Amino acid sequence: MEHPHKPTPLTKKFFTPWVIVLAAIALNGILFLLARFVFGIGAVTNLDNQYPWGIWIGLDVAAGVALAAGGFTTAAIGHIMHNDKYESIIRPALLTALLGYTFVAVSVMVDLGRWYYIWHPIIMWNGNSALFEVGICVMIYLTVLYIEFLPIVTERFIGRVNLPGILSRFNKLVNTFLIKLDKGLDKTMFIFIIAGVVLSCLHQSSLGTLMIIAGPKMHPLWQTPILPLLFLLSAIAVGFPMVIMESLTASRSFGLKPETEVLNSLSRFIAPLLGIYLIAKIGDMVIRETFVYLSELNSTTILFGIEVVIGVIVPLRMFMSPAVRESTKGLYIASMLVIFGIVMNRFNNFITAYNPPYALDSYMPSIGEISVTLGFIAIEILLYRLFVKIFPVISIPAKKSLSKTKFAIRGAAK
Amino acid sequence: MKVTIKILLLLFICSLSVSAQIQSLAKHAQMNIDCKSCHVCDTPTKADPCLILCPRYKLEVVRHSPDEGPDHIIIDKIKVEKDLYKPVQFSHRLHSEMSLMSGGCSSCHHFNPPGNIVECSECHEPNRARTDLSKPDLKGAYHRQCMDCHYSWDAKVECADCHELNSSETESVRLEAMPSKSHPKVKEPEKIVYETGSDEGDLVTFFHNEHISLFNLECTDCHSNESCAQCHSQKEKVERPILADAHENCSACHDTEDDCTSCHMEMERAPFNHFKSSGFSLKKYHSDVSCISCHTAGGGFTGLNKNCISCHNFEDEDFDHGVTGLTLDDIHIENECADCHTETVYSKVSCDTCHDEDITYPASLPGTKK
Amino acid sequence: MSQNRRDFLKTVAAIGTSAGALSALSPNKVKAKSPENLSEERMGVLVDATVCIGCRKCEWACRGAHDIENGNIQDYADEKVFETNRRPDYDNLTIVNRYESSDEKLSNVKLQCMHCDHPACVSACIVGAISKKKNGSVVWDTDMCIGCRYCMVACPFQIPAFEYHKALDPKIVKCDFCDERTMEGKLPACTAICPVEALTYGKREDLLIEAKRRFKNNPDRYYQHIFGEHEIGGTSWLYIADKDLAGTVFPKLDNRTAPGVSESIQHGLFAYFVPPVAVYALLGGIMWLTKDKKKTEGK
Ligand code: SF4
Ligand code: SF4
Ligand code: SF4
Repeated sequence: MEHPHKPTPLTKKFFTPWVIVLAAIALNGILFLLARFVFGIGAVTNLDNQYPWGIWIGLDVAAGVALAAGGFTTAAIGHIMHNDKYESIIRPALLTALLGYTFVAVSVMVDLGRWYYIWHPIIMWNGNSALFEVGICVMIYLTVLYIEFLPIVTERFIGRVNLPGILSRFNKLVNTFLIKLDKGLDKTMFIFIIAGVVLSCLHQSSLGTLMIIAGPKMHPLWQTPILPLLFLLSAIAVGFPMVIMESLTASRSFGLKPETEVLNSLSRFIAPLLGIYLIAKIGDMVIRETFVYLSELNSTTILFGIEVVIGVIVPLRMFMSPAVRESTKGLYIASMLVIFGIVMNRFNNFITAYNPPYALDSYMPSIGEISVTLGFIAIEILLYRLFVKIFPVISIPAKKSLSKTKFAIRGAAK
Repeated sequence: MKVTIKILLLLFICSLSVSAQIQSLAKHAQMNIDCKSCHVCDTPTKADPCLILCPRYKLEVVRHSPDEGPDHIIIDKIKVEKDLYKPVQFSHRLHSEMSLMSGGCSSCHHFNPPGNIVECSECHEPNRARTDLSKPDLKGAYHRQCMDCHYSWDAKVECADCHELNSSETESVRLEAMPSKSHPKVKEPEKIVYETGSDEGDLVTFFHNEHISLFNLECTDCHSNESCAQCHSQKEKVERPILADAHENCSACHDTEDDCTSCHMEMERAPFNHFKSSGFSLKKYHSDVSCISCHTAGGGFTGLNKNCISCHNFEDEDFDHGVTGLTLDDIHIENECADCHTETVYSKVSCDTCHDEDITYPASLPGTKK
Repeated sequence: MSQNRRDFLKTVAAIGTSAGALSALSPNKVKAKSPENLSEERMGVLVDATVCIGCRKCEWACRGAHDIENGNIQDYADEKVFETNRRPDYDNLTIVNRYESSDEKLSNVKLQCMHCDHPACVSACIVGAISKKKNGSVVWDTDMCIGCRYCMVACPFQIPAFEYHKALDPKIVKCDFCDERTMEGKLPACTAICPVEALTYGKREDLLIEAKRRFKNNPDRYYQHIFGEHEIGGTSWLYIADKDLAGTVFPKLDNRTAPGVSESIQHGLFAYFVPPVAVYALLGGIMWLTKDKKKTEGK
């Protein structure tokens, strides 16, 4: 077993001008968050009885979950199908999923009116509720993600446990524990990996079921009984573009050589996946004859057009061209478009399509909501940056001395 | 033997019950009610009278005049622990007078079988929590009765318009004022010009005042079955209802079948003037006389002779000359009419029959003028 | 390696059984909350918009019955409120709106939770805090509620309101069919006070009969349709009026139950946990096979 790439903690310095900008955005978000907890949801958001859900659910949660799909799609292709080629992108994808889902959970908590009861669904069940299913799956999946991440933590600390001061006498003990844990995890990891994929499929689709119950309140362009399928397909389709986008961004930001070869072969999957999604979406429209709504020109249909044309059809065409797939720039733009398309889709499903019967005017996210959403994204990026500096996540192009198996290194530390 | 007795007995019982039914039928029949107002089926029997639930809009058999009812009624049937309002004083007389213009007594007394007037509370339960939902409870029934009209013409009607607050200090004075209270005099229009769009002449000028003062019609002769809201409307301006049959009210007196042009004209017509249309002035003696006391032959108002005797029989012993404004003195009262009125036109008087030329009418009078 | 494989199989089997156990447990829970077995005895209210006079006494009484500051009853005569189309809110569980009816006459209609026979809110609630009771009322347990507001998204009548202004302990609020009062044998506050009995409280069945009786006796007075008889699978509150209320006062709804589609999808995905377990087994199989192949190749 050869590892051409070996994940290593990065040594680049943390602060750059961009990081400071992100920190400012994060701080701004945190201030509004504080306001939300001190003065209530009404004070910060534009939500009301007509529009109970805004971008905190539509973007932070729904789009967040979709974009974290890279975690399970890479796990499926890398671990379950044992395609070792993709090993190097599994860890970054896992970290994104981990952070993504953590922030999904946090966002849900922020949006919950009675956030201190967020644990209620664990003991109070309503099997009829799509939201219950989403909630439970996300909770379990989040746990699974943390477990999947554990080996990275153990790998980082085994042989390097260095507790401060008086605690240092436990160094050895902790070290042994970590080694035991690592061994145990290694044996059972497949359970969690499969569980992760199953859970992802379940809640990605159930996220689509969420809005079905809104029935006629939802615009027919989006309201369809196959919403769960569309959500699942689109989540699968956005998984790889997300990984590509991240990998390219990270390598650029850390000044590494982009892993074009891996990414290129990964990008071959995207066009078929997007294609399937598009066929399902268009097919559904044709069967239910909802295209008649496209004859009117208003903000709703325009947003639908943007979502489908710019977010699906254009990148689909781009990913079909080998030239695009081979150029870093092409890959980056096409991936960004897919991501944009899916974010639009989630936004449209949860916000554009939702037309409450008695609303006098339509919902526009408030400054507070936007600030919090942007703040979360900024914090996520910052944490990602921090994590890859602490833990061996990103693979650095191989040097001969490092191309040993992970057990070889650890064995040395024993 | 036994069997025959049994059969006889049976027959006897049957005939009894049949006669009983016939009797009650007879009573019903006297009342001139449509069977369908109470029974749903064609042949109701005693065992299965198939009565309809509540003949809300159908049954009214007894008509009374407004003065037969009470002047006012105190409504205090509904009592709760803490009454917010005083009992309601209802001006029955006023309302019954008004009702003549619309549905009559039955607009409120909708279930009014022979016998005593049925009180609301005899059918409508005072308890709102009940099993029979087919009629509103008493409180609902009262309020609906009032609000059906009051609300339909004024959505702004307030509780305090009928209910006095229990907490209000002022002693009630409305009761005393009530008997004299009646519907305020309706301001009647002088004339209405209808644009009918008819070929025979677009305009019909209707002189409302003439029909009342000249032709002595009662309000209810034309205005029957009208809802209060026709005059009292939520909307500022009352629009005149378009009659289903435009001639409905007119044809009772006018020939609307063959004679169009007497009403339908190209321009507004002038008020009715007997002198202009017939050359016979009504001013002097006939202003209070109804049309038909002269125009006795039905079907037309023409053809009368202007001669007095074509109507008046002055030869009558009892003729009181005073009605002309001239009371004859003792000497002249003994005369025959023709002694002075030598022509059939009674306004012409000749004194020559008895007197010399120096005595002429009206320089000298045969009596005293009023 | 064979050791490994046996482990693998064992664990897969173990997960399978535990999932099975879970599924055996959950359908019962699901059934307990489901309103499938609707009681014949369930109550309802017939709202006759042709009778309502817009006095808003019901608003006053409803507030009073729910410990909401309701002020002086005389102030409710203020007609100005009719200028806007109001909606039930946390401080007013029911409201009366005025609308222009067919012949340009003004009519009034009282709105509150419809107490659906197949309530979307009950199906949606993540913790099952909302339930449909035998007597027809749809009530909720504030202590369970986590404030996710999914019931508000689900409700076709946009009824549940949320106390957005509260930072701590905000609650979902809606008409509860005066649950406390009816349990004491009293009438719902609004139906008790209505001066004209525009609100008739009774068994839903009887109300339907009564509504049809009114249609028959007064064909001119009514638009011959009971809103709520079939809409959205039926509601406990039924409306009759002089015009079609769907599309103006109420949204246009078809007769399928609100949670029908989503629940069948939901149950399809989770039918006794079979699909998830099947996927799990399938993936496990793939993983095992590819692993096996690679190991052999490695040798
Ligand atoms: S009207 Fe809305 S809140 Fe009321 S029972 Fe139906 S779905 Fe639930
Ligand atoms: S039933 Fe009770 S809670 Fe519902 S509107 Fe009437 S008074 Fe309010
Ligand atoms: S109390 Fe009755 S009449 Fe008054 S507004 Fe309410 S429903 Fe209408």
